[in-house]
Amino acid sequence: MAYEEVKVQTPLYLKILPVLSICAFFGSWEFIVKTGIVPSTMLAAPSEVIKLFIVKLTDPNPDGAVLSQHAWISLKEAGIGYLLSLLVGLPLGLTMGWFTTVRGLFRPVFELIRPIPPIAWIPLCIFWFGIGLWGKVFIIWIAGIVPCVINAWVGVGMTNPTLIQMARTYGASDWQIFTKICVPSALPMVFGALQIALAYCWTNLVGAELLAADQGLGFLISMGRRLALPQMVVLGMVTVGIGGAVIGVLIDAVEKRLLAGIRR
Amino acid sequence: MVVDSGRTTKIEVKDLTKRFGNLVVLDKINFHVAEGEFLAIVGPTGCGKTTFLNCLSKLIPTSGGDIFIDGDVANPRKHNISFVFQEPTCMPWRTVRQNVAYGMEVKKFPREKLNQKLESILKLVGLTDTADLYPNQVSASMMQRIAVARAFAVNPDLLLMDEPYGQLDVKLRFYLEDELIKLWKTLKSTVIFVTHNIEEAVYVAERILVLSNKPTGIKAEVQVDLPHPRSMIDPEFVTIRKQVTELIRWW
Repeated sequence: MAYEEVKVQTPLYLKILPVLSICAFFGSWEFIVKTGIVPSTMLAAPSEVIKLFIVKLTDPNPDGAVLSQHAWISLKEAGIGYLLSLLVGLPLGLTMGWFTTVRGLFRPVFELIRPIPPIAWIPLCIFWFGIGLWGKVFIIWIAGIVPCVINAWVGVGMTNPTLIQMARTYGASDWQIFTKICVPSALPMVFGALQIALAYCWTNLVGAELLAADQGLGFLISMGRRLALPQMVVLGMVTVGIGGAVIGVLIDAVEKRLLAGIRR
Repeated sequence: MVVDSGRTTKIEVKDLTKRFGNLVVLDKINFHVAEGEFLAIVGPTGCGKTTFLNCLSKLIPTSGGDIFIDGDVANPRKHNISFVFQEPTCMPWRTVRQNVAYGMEVKKFPREKLNQKLESILKLVGLTDTADLYPNQVSASMMQRIAVARAFAVNPDLLLMDEPYGQLDVKLRFYLEDELIKLWKTLKSTVIFVTHNIEEAVYVAERILVLSNKPTGIKAEVQVDLPHPRSMIDPEFVTIRKQVTELIRWW
């Protein structure tokens, strides 16, 4: 075929470098704790964390649940909150970008709520929902909705005006231009929003759980502090980190498939 | 209505006027285009060519006068108006095939007719091999061919072209101009082709309107009665080119 795709190979050193950097990071961490440069009461060595990780896979003590239970609770809270924020934030942002009426209606309220840090809602949430699942879902929802709205809105605003004119000359309606031109051209920004919202949701989840929870990774971290077990704190942090990274990679993969034509 | 050459009038522009505040950009422009005619419009840079086209395509409202297609006031929802812009207008998220189909989708062509038309037009402009690639995988000239193919695909009542080949090199230009003539002859569309390149206008058009500086009006009309394909060194071609050049000496 005349139009063959070109395959580019990653050079060997680019494959080795990330592995090297991870090894160096954990190696020096282990080193400074084991040699006593940093006392073990202040920071746990990676090997201690791994040991605790293995124990926590099966032992619910001393914090009341095994690791998978904590992770599952957090994942559930973050997942529901994240999905709800996408469900509300993306349509809202996209329509705000194109329909002036929607923008006029929602922008003032949005601008008022936007600067309030999500964790400031915690007290009200406890009044409304107690310390159960839905209070945290609400905080995560508030956290995730802001980048969704802004990115979707800006994405629609960045639509190439000539494409809109082109559609108009064919007689496309406002709605057709919105769905067939503005929304697809906002997609790269929307996928950016998915990543940013995820980060916001995940960070605020831990914030919410630190203050009001009886299970979850944030709770695990605060229990570690109360029980003076730095390895438990680090285990909670590392699990949060890995969880976020895995979801990020998944979103990236989906994005690459869907945006084939735009970013190749 | 029948004009003197025996062809039916397709497009009629009556007293077309456009003002921005006190600035008169288009001043009572009157002309008509016959069905299936290829009309070129040349004018100096900044004379309001783009405003003129935007009025014709109904992208912006006129301040006075109007444009009529088959006797009715032009309406993009009712008439098939196509516009090929100066810059490539490919949607990067659609393949070449889907880009060409866009106009027909908006016009709600039935599936079967759409596919049939799509295949024939892709073949006509030589995009069959690249039909499943995305615009960022094809060259600039191909992107403009996509736009031209999309414009012809809807059987336009009026096809407006705004210096479509202005950004391409000379060789590609000749090639695409020949292709355009082929498309026009095959599909018998009515074309208004705006350019500032006199040679290009004489090469493609049946008739040339020369615009004046602001406030823009029609300064002269030149018939190009030469058979296609035309040769640029043909003495008659050279005469007409010189004639048009004389008309716009003050560029």
